[in-house]
Amino acid sequence: MPALKERPKPFVLPEFCKGCGRCISACPKHCISMGTEINPKTGLTPIVLDLTNCNGCGLCIDACPEPYGLQQTPADADYELQDPAKLFGDRMTDAPEPVDIPDQVVPLPKMEPLVLKGNYAAAVGALLAGCRHFFGYPITPSTEGAELMAKLMPHLDGTFLQAVSEVATVNMMYGCGGAGMRSMTFTSSPGFSLMLEGISYMIGAEVPGVFINVMRGGPGLGNIAPEQSDIKLCCRGLGHGNTHAIVLTPSTPQEMLDLTMLAFELTFKYRNPVVIASDGYLGQMTGKVSLPESLVKPGIPKWAVYGDLEHRRNLISSIYLSEVDLEKWNVVLNAKYASMQVEQRADLYMCDDAEVLLVACNTPARTAKGAVQVLRSRGIKAGLFRPVTVWPFPIEKLKTVLPNAKRIVVVEASNGQLEDEVKIALANARIREYPEIEHVRHFGGVLPQMEEVILKVAAGQEVTV
Amino acid sequence: MTTSAFYGKFERHSHGEGLKGHSTHYCPGCGHGLAHKYLGEAIDELGIQDKTVAVSPVGCSVFLYYYFDVGNTQAAHGRAPAVAIGHKLANPESIVISYQGDGDLASIGLAEIVSTAQMGIPITVIFVNNAIYGMTGGQMAPTTLMGQRTATSPDGRVEFMGQPMKMAELIAGLDGPVYVERVALFNPKQRNRAKKAIHKALQNQVEKRGFSFVEVLAECPTHLKATPEQAEKWVEEAMLPMFPLGVKKDETREPWWDRPAPTFETERVLKEIGAGEEKAPRYCTSFPSHVAKNDISLKLAGSGGDGAQTAAMLIVHAGINEGFDATHIPAYGPESRGGTSYADVHVAADEVLSPASPSPDVLIAFNMPSLVKFGPDVRPGGTIIYDSSVITDYTPVKSGVKMVGVPMSEIAKDLGKLMVKNIVALGALQAATGIFPKETFLTAVRRALKDKCAMIPLNEQAFEWGVKAASEVTVP
Repeated sequence: MPALKERPKPFVLPEFCKGCGRCISACPKHCISMGTEINPKTGLTPIVLDLTNCNGCGLCIDACPEPYGLQQTPADADYELQDPAKLFGDRMTDAPEPVDIPDQVVPLPKMEPLVLKGNYAAAVGALLAGCRHFFGYPITPSTEGAELMAKLMPHLDGTFLQAVSEVATVNMMYGCGGAGMRSMTFTSSPGFSLMLEGISYMIGAEVPGVFINVMRGGPGLGNIAPEQSDIKLCCRGLGHGNTHAIVLTPSTPQEMLDLTMLAFELTFKYRNPVVIASDGYLGQMTGKVSLPESLVKPGIPKWAVYGDLEHRRNLISSIYLSEVDLEKWNVVLNAKYASMQVEQRADLYMCDDAEVLLVACNTPARTAKGAVQVLRSRGIKAGLFRPVTVWPFPIEKLKTVLPNAKRIVVVEASNGQLEDEVKIALANARIREYPEIEHVRHFGGVLPQMEEVILKVAAGQEVTV
Repeated sequence: MTTSAFYGKFERHSHGEGLKGHSTHYCPGCGHGLAHKYLGEAIDELGIQDKTVAVSPVGCSVFLYYYFDVGNTQAAHGRAPAVAIGHKLANPESIVISYQGDGDLASIGLAEIVSTAQMGIPITVIFVNNAIYGMTGGQMAPTTLMGQRTATSPDGRVEFMGQPMKMAELIAGLDGPVYVERVALFNPKQRNRAKKAIHKALQNQVEKRGFSFVEVLAECPTHLKATPEQAEKWVEEAMLPMFPLGVKKDETREPWWDRPAPTFETERVLKEIGAGEEKAPRYCTSFPSHVAKNDISLKLAGSGGDGAQTAAMLIVHAGINEGFDATHIPAYGPESRGGTSYADVHVAADEVLSPASPSPDVLIAFNMPSLVKFGPDVRPGGTIIYDSSVITDYTPVKSGVKMVGVPMSEIAKDLGKLMVKNIVALGALQAATGIFPKETFLTAVRRALKDKCAMIPLNEQAFEWGVKAASEVTVP
């Protein structure tokens, strides 16, 4: 008759016992009692084991809430009970160091231009940029983008998921982006408000993702007509804490495609969300859209929590519990924001000799461009300075055209949100000498009209509501 | 020895200094540690450590990622199920765990947990219910018992504060989940059940069967102001009557979770986005500057169903096929159908600058209100084309504006399909303005109908009738 194999008995290092005593009642043989001496290392009173009657049932181990509390006694007799580093491990993990699986750029044949709505063009841009994960919640005037994704994603074995809310949407993007995949959403102002908490988490945890905000009239429910209502939110208010993100402002369906592709490149380059601030008019506008020369087949970045051995070491988190650690982290983020300054982009139209500098982005920039042409035909030296990034504001380019400018007129469909960005950029660049800023403003869904801009410039008439 | 699903050293816990490298941040006797251990054991038993992603919540278990040697993501308060779905869809082969407390799951995160459970995507939710907010310091939880005193129910929870949320029952009542059980930790028998439940909830995911949810009744001795032993007793005697243990749902579901890998194949992508190499034939010899110098603005106006937007899009396609730039902006009334429907269209030699049409060169009006509204805006020398079947009593809007009445509705009706009246209108536009040659329009129409070839002859006829009617019309 073979000898019964003896089951290992428990042991505990006193400094890893918090003295909760849950093991005491678990033991059917009454081997465990509460100690009487306070452990000097922990200030807690650990239990005491008397293993005379122990049959190694293990119920005490199952009752111990500490992973390194009650253990089975190791089989070899040489273990050094007093050294947790040797006993439990002195390093965190044996998972391998993660490595990048790089993106591939695949050339495209020359194709005929498409005729697309702005929202569709952005969706097509995302697909060409390798995005195969779309999360969203329907909101006018952005829905066509989501609808096209719902139609096309299954055909490309990608994912379209309609979330329960914008709050869930942004958190799905947080998970998916944290796994290293290219994800995006279409939304509009009220929905964007709801996503801000998640955007702050994404920035804090360095998670990429592309947000297309087809801005509409506010505040509150407002209406579904075009307004540049969220420039302030995008540039100065991306949720709580020290946050910034690159904000791209397209003005044609072509740019909706091009800038969406750029957004995916930038969001992974900086591991930071990118916002495309479009407007309701542009989202609905159909125009000619040429396709790029290549598409992207994305890899998996080394920092991703993809759910495989290669990425097991990784953590996506925005928590820095100690004040010192969090300050250090903010210094790192600030350095990243500073490095994003090279992404300043602007389109200058007849600015070289412009004495009247119109500043506008999105749809109002098209109106302003038309006005420049008419003004030029009347002998007025007007030009259009069109920021393509409103954050970082293209101050370096503005500096080059400022010396000639006798007037600056900001044309916008908001209550001065773009104008504020111009002023902040000038102040931050320590530029104090510039003409007093004038403006043509509409809001609530009304767009500035070309005639108004012309009147403002030519006759100096004030146009504000 | 301990399980390998835990880090060898908890370096994230205060940088792993001193004892913290091998002990948790939980208070003595806290139920979280047990739930952690059983989860770790199940991960080991199932051999899934390398493909597991654990989502840490907000609450006492916010630092789950200190301990588990798996991929870790820390989520915002209540949003862990949504984050978990993001992970699961990013890598469908990964095993994703959403670990949440009662404030996180049953209060702020209700929408996320309910919708995620109903989605049924295989993830595993471990819900630790200790009837109190631990991390913020003992405030009332959605699962706090009636009469229970907390920092925010100092005189005990009363009816006005709401009844305790029975999450296991609520989740089991949904069609999405495959398995829901409530377990406890207060004695060896219950702990054994808890272990098995957590194992099963993970196994269901490994086997691609569906969404699993385990509610763990846990002790919070600190905020119960009790010893761990008293806390165990409190769970057994006070919590159990409100939160009965047991399997709430256990459905046999065949493995179904199977997601293909996304494709990036060039040909498929181009086909899906509708890109083609085929150039449209061109018929224009130059920009139609007889209509407007280098930027023609049009407005098409009617009520929903008149086809103003489709006609507008066809003009844009025609313009772009000819190598010009063109834009279209729709405007609708708030109604989905039957309301107003206007379209602003521009065709420009090089670039459309301002895409709105506040004073169009051409107006196409499908009904009287549209003519009344926009007729006066048409620029002098411009053209108004209107449906004379429905607009019979008109006075010329402005001198110097060419009025072209065409019985669009009647022609379309005679052809057997009222919906082609917008194509009749395009024919009239061609004849009245000569903006593009006939073939330009017909090409745009044929390309638009390439998937509905049977419709092409009817549309061609409608176009020709429009041309004919506009050519014959007497301009008043």
